[in-house]
Amino acid sequence: MSYFFQLVVSGIVTGSIYALSALGFVLIYKSSRVLNIAHGQIIAGGAFITYALTVWLKIPIYLSFFISMIITFFLAMSIERIFLRRLIGEPIISIIMVTIGLMSILDGIIYLTPFGTYNLSFPDFFPKRPIIFWGISISWTRMAGVIITFILISLFSWFFKKSPIGVSMRAVSDDQMASMSVGISVPKVFGLAWAMAGMSAAAAGSIIGNITGLNFETLHAFGIAVFPVVILGGLDSIIGAVVAGIIMGLIQQFAAGYLDGNWGLNGTADVLPYIILLIILLFKPHGLFGTHEIERV
Amino acid sequence: MSVNRWLATGNFYESYKQEQRIFSTHCERAVFIVFIVALFLWPLLIKTSNTALLVLDEIMIAIIAIIGLNLVTGFAGLISIGHAAFVGIGAYTLAATSRVLGDQHVLLTHAWPLMIFLSGTAGAVFGAFVGLPAIRLKHLYLAIATLSFQMIFQWTINFMSFFNQGQTIPIARVYCFTGMVSRKDHYLFWYYTILIIVVVCGFCVRNLLRTRYGRCLVAVRDNDRAADAMGMHPGLTKVYAFSLSGFFAGIAGALHAYLYRGAGLDSFTLHHSITYLAMAIVGGLGTLAGSFFGPTAIKALDLQVEQLSEWTSVFLPAAMNLATALKPLAFGLVIVLFLIFEPRGIANWWRIIKSYIKLWPFKY
Repeated sequence: MSYFFQLVVSGIVTGSIYALSALGFVLIYKSSRVLNIAHGQIIAGGAFITYALTVWLKIPIYLSFFISMIITFFLAMSIERIFLRRLIGEPIISIIMVTIGLMSILDGIIYLTPFGTYNLSFPDFFPKRPIIFWGISISWTRMAGVIITFILISLFSWFFKKSPIGVSMRAVSDDQMASMSVGISVPKVFGLAWAMAGMSAAAAGSIIGNITGLNFETLHAFGIAVFPVVILGGLDSIIGAVVAGIIMGLIQQFAAGYLDGNWGLNGTADVLPYIILLIILLFKPHGLFGTHEIERV
Repeated sequence: MSVNRWLATGNFYESYKQEQRIFSTHCERAVFIVFIVALFLWPLLIKTSNTALLVLDEIMIAIIAIIGLNLVTGFAGLISIGHAAFVGIGAYTLAATSRVLGDQHVLLTHAWPLMIFLSGTAGAVFGAFVGLPAIRLKHLYLAIATLSFQMIFQWTINFMSFFNQGQTIPIARVYCFTGMVSRKDHYLFWYYTILIIVVVCGFCVRNLLRTRYGRCLVAVRDNDRAADAMGMHPGLTKVYAFSLSGFFAGIAGALHAYLYRGAGLDSFTLHHSITYLAMAIVGGLGTLAGSFFGPTAIKALDLQVEQLSEWTSVFLPAAMNLATALKPLAFGLVIVLFLIFEPRGIANWWRIIKSYIKLWPFKY
């Protein structure tokens, strides 16, 4: 039984990271209907900025965490301004391809830095001994990661529910024409959505980097791994991203814990999300919480 | 008055049949024939290294794959981020045969044209299977479905011991009329084989697009409801587009496996799917000429970047490999610049050049 609870706990840890990564993805899709394939690279970039600030510039981690969030805020905003703004109104394939191009460019830039080749890891900030209660162990880093993730997610949701800017962003995602007519600048909202997504990506990246170490491959794999999460939760639902993130984390941990090694299976945690994704797409394409906008052909 | 069929200064079509001609003037046809003959003859006249031939073979295999991708993404408007998986299915059909029957089996060495065709068929079957969600899904969701197919394919190859865990599965040298194709002639032999297949595929697709089945694809892309109202079946058309694209991809995969005498997962990853999409975009989506320009341009770019980084490696510390950084950077820049400044791709430049020559002394 304690094995089961151990899996549940680690599933929630993985899931909350998925949730935070998916949050940025959903933000961009919700406001501007852009499928951002370069999200993993932004996550990795955020993690590397945090590392550079903490280790090379010797800034305390909690400060560098925020500074890296601010840097990616402007970075993502300029990405939107330079690349995506020109393509508003273009066919969907152009928009997908431009984010793919962006992914490649960011890849290239990161490979130019030491982070592309070396595996670095953050210095330990927390006691090494894991917390153990009722036979379930969880490391301090993971614990802190989960707590920060939940704080950030609730902050983001508060921002969208209550603050004027958040309300205007929701208005744009609902009806661009109507929100333009009441004086909301739609391009500005797009830029802001990217900026917020960059911010959440940096936070996610720093947390992942602290847990798994700074390997570019693992970090940017999160950009693809969020696809099953966002589809399960519904492409345009923030609540969906959080719930689906945790469900996906649990599924992955259970798959790794119970399926692997039995019946000759191996590495099922990597493939199960995509199989679920296909099943959801076939039977419930708008996900658990997404708006019903799919038209049947 | 008889129409001058050798030179034309404008479009003076009188019937639909005239407009649908592959070559509008005899001059065009003559240039095309000379070009094809030159492609067949030059390796006999000029001594070429195997490296150069290998690059050409790679480009032509990519052309076959892109013809398939262009059918589904360019003409039918269905985004496929899983094209490398279809190519992989072609290659792994051969690999599976080699695993079951042994890599020196007569089916692989002597009946290779049949095997190439079979691989194409396997690709088509999987294409139809992956295309099934297209009956219900559109645009983004379909793109994600193909992406998940790519991931499932990679996992299947990676974790099945039957497929050697993604390591290379060897495939034997083939036999031609004169006996086994030796190591020396390997690339030349495949140059000719692939060239013939490219030409045949090109003509097949060009003619397909003139028939109702080809027009059906374009109609469904442009407006599926109108197409439905005119009696086409959009869902079936999409499935058929996917299976057609899978067929070409399967052929490309089989050729790839034969050319490298083995199939390994390294050549069929998500990265390759993205490269295929980029080739289609740079060449020009929805044009047949684009399927020829795109792969050539992207491969040429890759080679140039490699040359550049080799040249700079003299000045840089040995640990730093500039190629890994510059390749994605140049690749991404090319995609983004093409999308922003020339969304219709190189095929559009080709069109401009052609109309310029056609109307030459006059401006327009």
